[in-house]
Amino acid sequence: MNAMIRSDILEQPGKWRIIGITTGFLIVATPALVLMFVTTGAVPGRIGSLIGGAFGWAILRSLAVASLAAVFSLAVGLPAGIVAALYDFSARRLLLGLLALPLLLPSFIQAIGLSLLRPVLGLSADGFLSGLSGVALSFALFGIPLVLFITLASVRGISRSQVDAARLAGGEWHVVGCVARSVFSAAALAGALAGVLTLSDPGPGQILGYNGAAAEILVSFASQYDFALATRQCLLLAGVVFVLSLPVALRLAPRLATGLLARDVTPVPLTRNRAASHAGPALLLGLLVFILVLPLAGFVRPLFGNFPVGRVAQEVARTLGDTLAYGTMAGLLAVVLGVALAACAGRSAKMRIGVLCGLVLVLAAPPSLGALGWIHLAGVSPASLDPVLRSMFTVSLALALRFFPIVTLFAMRGLGTVSPSWAGAAAVHGVSFPKFVQKVLAPWLAPAVLMAALLVVLLATADVSSVLLLHPPGRGSLPLAIFTVMANAPESLVGALCLAYVGGAAGLLGLGWWLVNTFKTKS
Amino acid sequence: MTALLEAQDLGRFFGNQPVFQSVTLAIQTGQHLALLGSSGGGKSTLLRLLAGLDAPEQGRIWIDGKLVSEPRRVLVPPHQRGLAMVFQDLALWPALTALENVLLGLGQDGSARRERIERAKDALEKCRVGSLASRKPAALSIGQQQRVALARALAVRPKLLLLDEAFASLDLPLKQELMGELEQLVGQFGLTLLLVTHDPFEACVLCTHALVLEGGGVVEQGRLSDLLAAPVSRTLQAFARQPRLW
Repeated sequence: MNAMIRSDILEQPGKWRIIGITTGFLIVATPALVLMFVTTGAVPGRIGSLIGGAFGWAILRSLAVASLAAVFSLAVGLPAGIVAALYDFSARRLLLGLLALPLLLPSFIQAIGLSLLRPVLGLSADGFLSGLSGVALSFALFGIPLVLFITLASVRGISRSQVDAARLAGGEWHVVGCVARSVFSAAALAGALAGVLTLSDPGPGQILGYNGAAAEILVSFASQYDFALATRQCLLLAGVVFVLSLPVALRLAPRLATGLLARDVTPVPLTRNRAASHAGPALLLGLLVFILVLPLAGFVRPLFGNFPVGRVAQEVARTLGDTLAYGTMAGLLAVVLGVALAACAGRSAKMRIGVLCGLVLVLAAPPSLGALGWIHLAGVSPASLDPVLRSMFTVSLALALRFFPIVTLFAMRGLGTVSPSWAGAAAVHGVSFPKFVQKVLAPWLAPAVLMAALLVVLLATADVSSVLLLHPPGRGSLPLAIFTVMANAPESLVGALCLAYVGGAAGLLGLGWWLVNTFKTKS
Repeated sequence: MTALLEAQDLGRFFGNQPVFQSVTLAIQTGQHLALLGSSGGGKSTLLRLLAGLDAPEQGRIWIDGKLVSEPRRVLVPPHQRGLAMVFQDLALWPALTALENVLLGLGQDGSARRERIERAKDALEKCRVGSLASRKPAALSIGQQQRVALARALAVRPKLLLLDEAFASLDLPLKQELMGELEQLVGQFGLTLLLVTHDPFEACVLCTHALVLEGGGVVEQGRLSDLLAAPVSRTLQAFARQPRLW
């Protein structure tokens, strides 16, 4: 009996935590490490030579886009987040739910929407919705909701009494000012994160005519078939991303670590007042039009009188199974890794900060870094490993290793709300660890982990970079099909495919939401 | 009387800072001992050591004469020590009903399922929540939750019942009601009781003996009536100085 794992092991310190965390991150970093240490033995000098060339300019273009997108996301997302966090108004929850949708759409879909919208607005191909401004705007469609929701979450860390004190001291504007000061740094970090994430995303740049570094890597690999050049470019880009995201990670991680723990704070209640009841819906509705309706309008315009139902159905039927298979497998793998890492981090502040720091870096890393690593690994491994290294599983694994941080965050939050005495009571009563997990922990964590798994499924189905580089012949996903045909296919087909994808993603999100709520109600 | 539980020179540290050191105590069979002290003084930490949930950094613990903990090692796990515990936040498992909470608590005793169900129902009845067996903790009032937590502890028929600030969050009428019921149950089951509290009032109602933990060590211990007659610790001095307002 003494040899059995005690049910309160997750509340106890131990070397297994650091071993688990190190192993987890080593698994995640394996493809990148392979790429760094094996493929490019004498490359540092040659990587340096890229800086002065066309790729150096591409990196500068990417940095310009990142800065603009970050500033724009912060400028719009912060005020919207504060209004949504403090005030109650009609359709608030519905509007917020719809505003979350752009977070789950592939960036290139929104870029396609903007590009298809140009003729409607009478803009030329080199107008406002193209080039630097167009690409930055396209990325801001993702960055704005990110800042908005981080602001919303940060306001939950402020107590009701703090807001009441501010209201007594100086009225409503004083409340807004105090809250803005309190959450500004978190929102700014979210904006910075949104900016850093753009560095690794090739889509909008290619579509709106302002190719950044990530797009150059895709061109080197997929068009020029130059694996060595793509690898060098990828390593250089990863270095830039690492340097830029490390300070963000170091600042963001301690905040997240505290925010993810359950705290005994009475949250700020939503206030109803006349000004906010008009301004709130107007602001969120305006934002919704800007970040969701306008790109959708771009898809819809070419469809009037010409909806290619047959082609769309054919394309969707061809790719739907594989798209869902990639997403589902990635979701399952991400849950295993994400929950394990969260459990290893436990309640230790140092471990949580370390893990969160690593998660931000993983999220910011170019997806091509991992994908090229897997390609190299497949190239040097025996054929018997093909089912792991050259299959649909490889694509799912690469996607899981990219998006598992979302599961870890949700699981850390869930574990943070577990009372340590639950495990203590189980230990006193001799409840075995598996039984404790099955009867107590799993039901408690299930809604959060289910939601996180669903988000991973959606993000994985939206990914193009990893799927493009790794998919076995004939096993592409729907977003990849859109990405591949968009340059040559008629606008109506591209628009209809994009619309089909957005509808599918919204449906999947709605279904998941319903499932999670049903589970919560039952338990 | 024989000592049911003995602890010698117990010490626990956070980093290099001692929470307490050189704590020695003994609880005789049938004794009701209050572990008093100021908030943050290490009372709950000491209780966790006695329960076997944590290992002491210094000192040893015996139960029924058997060594159960030594420095940095728990030799006998909590569920084999013949004790039960009611936690400060009650630690009811939220996804399970009241009956399932008590049943899971009985999971390791080797008896048949039917017998365990009978025992769980009996414990819930004795604690006056038998009719609420199918409700989950969130659907119970705080007083009802308290009774379920007590039923879970009593169902295992422990020799020693540990209560960790179990009444701290209750209003006075409910606290008095529950303490009255607990006193009856403890007598009925013939239990030895160790109550952790910062409130000497609770100690006076439920316990005959007390040990006061302050400043990282035991300041005084003995019969509660004797201690209150000439209090040495800040906790009991403050209690003894309280004016009678009625």
